[in-house]
Amino acid sequence: MSADLNCEVLIVGSGAGGATTATVLAEAGFDVLIAEEGAWVDQGSVTPFSLAQMDLQYRSGGVTVALGAPSIAYTEGRCAGGGTEVNSGLYRRPPGEVVDRWRSQYQIRDLDPTELDSIADEVEKELSVGLTPGTPSEPSRILRDGAEALGWQNSEIPRWMTYPEGTTGFRGERQSMTRTYLPRAIAAGARLVTGLTIDRLVISNGRATSATARRDGQPITVRFRDVIVCGGAIQTPALLQRSGIRKHIGRSLAVHPTVKLAARFDHEVNVPDDVPVHQVKEFAPALSFGGSASNPGLVALSLSDSWRDFAPAVEAWPSISVYYAAITSEGRGRVQAVPGMRDPIVTYRLTRRDKDLLRSGLARLALLMLAAGAQEVYPSFRGAPIVRGRADLATLQERFAAAKASVMTVHLCSTVPLGEDRTRCGADSYGRVHGYSNVFVNDASLLPDAPGVNPQGSVMALAIRNARHFARTERPRG
Amino acid sequence: MDSAPVVERLAAPFVAQLLRHDLPGLPQARLDDTVTFIRRRLSSLPSFVRFGVTIIGGLVRAVSIGPAQQPVLRFLAARPLPLFGEYVRLTRSLGYAYVWETWPDSLADGSPK
Repeated sequence: MSADLNCEVLIVGSGAGGATTATVLAEAGFDVLIAEEGAWVDQGSVTPFSLAQMDLQYRSGGVTVALGAPSIAYTEGRCAGGGTEVNSGLYRRPPGEVVDRWRSQYQIRDLDPTELDSIADEVEKELSVGLTPGTPSEPSRILRDGAEALGWQNSEIPRWMTYPEGTTGFRGERQSMTRTYLPRAIAAGARLVTGLTIDRLVISNGRATSATARRDGQPITVRFRDVIVCGGAIQTPALLQRSGIRKHIGRSLAVHPTVKLAARFDHEVNVPDDVPVHQVKEFAPALSFGGSASNPGLVALSLSDSWRDFAPAVEAWPSISVYYAAITSEGRGRVQAVPGMRDPIVTYRLTRRDKDLLRSGLARLALLMLAAGAQEVYPSFRGAPIVRGRADLATLQERFAAAKASVMTVHLCSTVPLGEDRTRCGADSYGRVHGYSNVFVNDASLLPDAPGVNPQGSVMALAIRNARHFARTERPRG
Repeated sequence: MDSAPVVERLAAPFVAQLLRHDLPGLPQARLDDTVTFIRRRLSSLPSFVRFGVTIIGGLVRAVSIGPAQQPVLRFLAARPLPLFGEYVRLTRSLGYAYVWETWPDSLADGSPK
């Protein structure tokens, strides 16, 4: 019996874009097959933000990097549900002014903020998006109190989380794709095949006719009428390029670069398996502050750039939490598939303005920590001083150079921007790749730039909008 | 092109020496565990990073044979040279993250509390 697979619509990837697309199309009567390279890992079966989780649910064990000066470490989910299984679960709607800007600058047809808001209502209900019912965690309270002491704007960011009845704490159950949209898609008839790697689309006369793939090391062919690539902002352009689709693909990677610090307090603050829900938006959208995962390993990691001076602090990890300053970057990066290599080469170039913003952002974040009562602050760059008071902030700024910092990001987008401006858009206003009649993209790659907020809400709203348009215009064979 | 086993072989001695240098109190069994973890992670790096690490690992190994081993290690551990510095940083990051996640009661020199 042939192991080859046939379907009407092949969806590559099962994260925020893929799972929502599959749900809309399966419920509209399409024969949907979801190809997921990673495994299905039940929520709760692995400790969040641990190395074990990175082994199971991240690409390359979480050690992936965009080369540059400095290089920027990033992470990608590689499991059923994609990034939604491993991220912080913080949710922001696509900002209306950002959507308006995208529509006008990229000539995106019918991109209506009201329609996206209406879709966001549905998404928020499906994912149980809401505020923590109880007291925020200590690292979260620190962000709030520090901001209020300085008179800076801050707020609790909603999460997709359910909480036990009557809870007064902050721990809940993440409502990721494996708990929400994927079961819905499967109930509507979609087939999810895990461990299935799509290597290349076979293209003929502007149409994709099939995909060459591997499952358990065995080559197989997947045949389809239409293909929708939802592999995320790195893997989606890489797959398209491997398939010979290159025009405006992978040339405009946008991220939110972040720099970090660890802050030590006079009492226990560390929550190893969760992240703070408060963010400080006084300087948004250019600059935002928030909290990172802070298990003891990650505390050690944040101290490692200046280990000679910072090492003793690691023994006080229960009193330490890690925080970040994120910027909206003017820089751009590239994703380039290379023949003979499994993974694409990813590069990113920060502008001078970006580097200056990272410097001032880190100093302001340190000030925020001092205002919240931190006894010592350990910035994550080589040669950083220990900040014990405001007088040390000048030294921090003086010594900082982006090239010496551990810059990272978890928000990757814009490698196949959508719109009718063919001088820079890889896909049309609904995600159809320009010049290819049945190849679509429907994930973070489509966002014209990094939205300045946690992007998953934007990805889901846009993906549902586009999937509904597909369902209206392509019709199931039925 | 798959350089996974090569990168493990080339990097392992340097990884062990660097951790011994940075964390002199780390017991041998924990050191072995940590090196095993780092080797596994190096072998799953994205292709182009693994290729680069293989080249740098090979160069470091070539210049740190015999009596040159300790001076080369001390030099690389202390100076953030381009590319070589990233190799040291990657190794350290993985090692420290593993040590303190696995044995959070470790003292700053890696020894058990």
